[in-house]
Amino acid sequence: MTNNPTRYYRFCAWCGLLMLPGTIFFWGILGDNIPPYSAALSADEFATEVINNASSIRIGMIGQLVISFMYLVWGVGIAKVMEHVEEDNNILSTLQLWGAGLTLLVFMIPCAMWLAVAFRPEVMEPKTLQILYDFGWFFFDNGFTMTTMGMVAMGVCFLSDKREVPLIPAWVCWLAICVGIGFILEVFMPLFESGVFSRSGTINYWIEFSLYFVYWLCTAIYILKAIPRLEQEHRQAQS
Amino acid sequence: MSAKTAPSNKLAANSAASVVSATNTLPVTTPSPQKVPSIWMFLAADSISFGILFLVFMVERLKQPELFVSSAQSLSTLAGLINTLILISGSWLVALAVNTARQGEDNKTRRLFIAAIGISALFAVTKFFEYGGKFSAGISPTTNDFFSFYFALTGFHLVHYALGMAALIYFASTVNATTLQNTRYRLWLESGALFWHLVDLLWIFIFAMLYLLGGEL
Repeated sequence: MTNNPTRYYRFCAWCGLLMLPGTIFFWGILGDNIPPYSAALSADEFATEVINNASSIRIGMIGQLVISFMYLVWGVGIAKVMEHVEEDNNILSTLQLWGAGLTLLVFMIPCAMWLAVAFRPEVMEPKTLQILYDFGWFFFDNGFTMTTMGMVAMGVCFLSDKREVPLIPAWVCWLAICVGIGFILEVFMPLFESGVFSRSGTINYWIEFSLYFVYWLCTAIYILKAIPRLEQEHRQAQS
Repeated sequence: MSAKTAPSNKLAANSAASVVSATNTLPVTTPSPQKVPSIWMFLAADSISFGILFLVFMVERLKQPELFVSSAQSLSTLAGLINTLILISGSWLVALAVNTARQGEDNKTRRLFIAAIGISALFAVTKFFEYGGKFSAGISPTTNDFFSFYFALTGFHLVHYALGMAALIYFASTVNATTLQNTRYRLWLESGALFWHLVDLLWIFIFAMLYLLGGEL
């Protein structure tokens, strides 16, 4: 039997690339999260919005809950590629894997909360709906350290690649570190109901999320491009 | 060594051997010093991030110029100026340390890094008293839009400062005659110094925008 150390790598890597448009469609468009409902809305105004869009939000959140596992699979793929760079131990790939696994919870728990909000909003107290929605967003935005941990671990690992042409370009590594650290501004989100730092504001929504999606796309593409390189290395080693 | 990493290491070792024989394929493991430190990419991305924050700040300032001016007057321009001088002095010492590192003078490099850490630590002390004064006066990020930006910009900068200080402490504790012979170490040392200069540069922008626009000495 031929030894193939990169078997299933492509599957894992494609999961990351495919989950990105899936997330934009289910979580963003159907889930009515572009942008999310403002924290400045009164409970009654918020409940009216949810009742009017309940069906779409439910489908969006169900879809997002279904595809969220792909983030972990992608994380496994990144970790396996990282192992081909690590020399002394596998600390960084393990941190990255845990980061991806915990980010999966950041997707799933808030989406389950928002699904509950849209499940039967017409018979629920508006304030109950609002607090469930708020809880989802606090978990989603303020659980950023788990994602940051994985992004920084990945960036540091691939920056230490001693190959003449690194598996992942340095700019992607620095982008991951920069975007990961930039999430620190989310700590201001729970302090504001409106304005640029609120959950639907210019900085903490539009800029932070756009940068995260750019990081996600770039990393997914370059992880896929690294796999043929690893296969080539394996063939060289075999010969 | 864990079983998890064993295959990759074996692969890397085999690949290294094969590089010699397989001349028609891409060499994969030959270390090659980079001429330009890749941290420039991080510095560019980080500068863009701060640039966007500065732009949003200026847009919000245009909407409420009186509030921003009156709020800026409650900041201590003197404290901001002292912090600017502290960071510039720290940057100067770090630049000297890089110069001595290039000449292989490890003891002098270490001393310069320690001096830079000592002076730059005063920045955190000043910031501690500045934040303490604001909170004791009942001013917090939720007071108004100006102070939201004040705490966000200076807080984000403080995170960068902490990372930069960690880098300086690392280099002060690891620099020696052996490490200075290592090309990658010297590259990381220069990268850390460049990052420290960015921390300095960003503060100058923050000082000008928050403290000087409408502020008083």
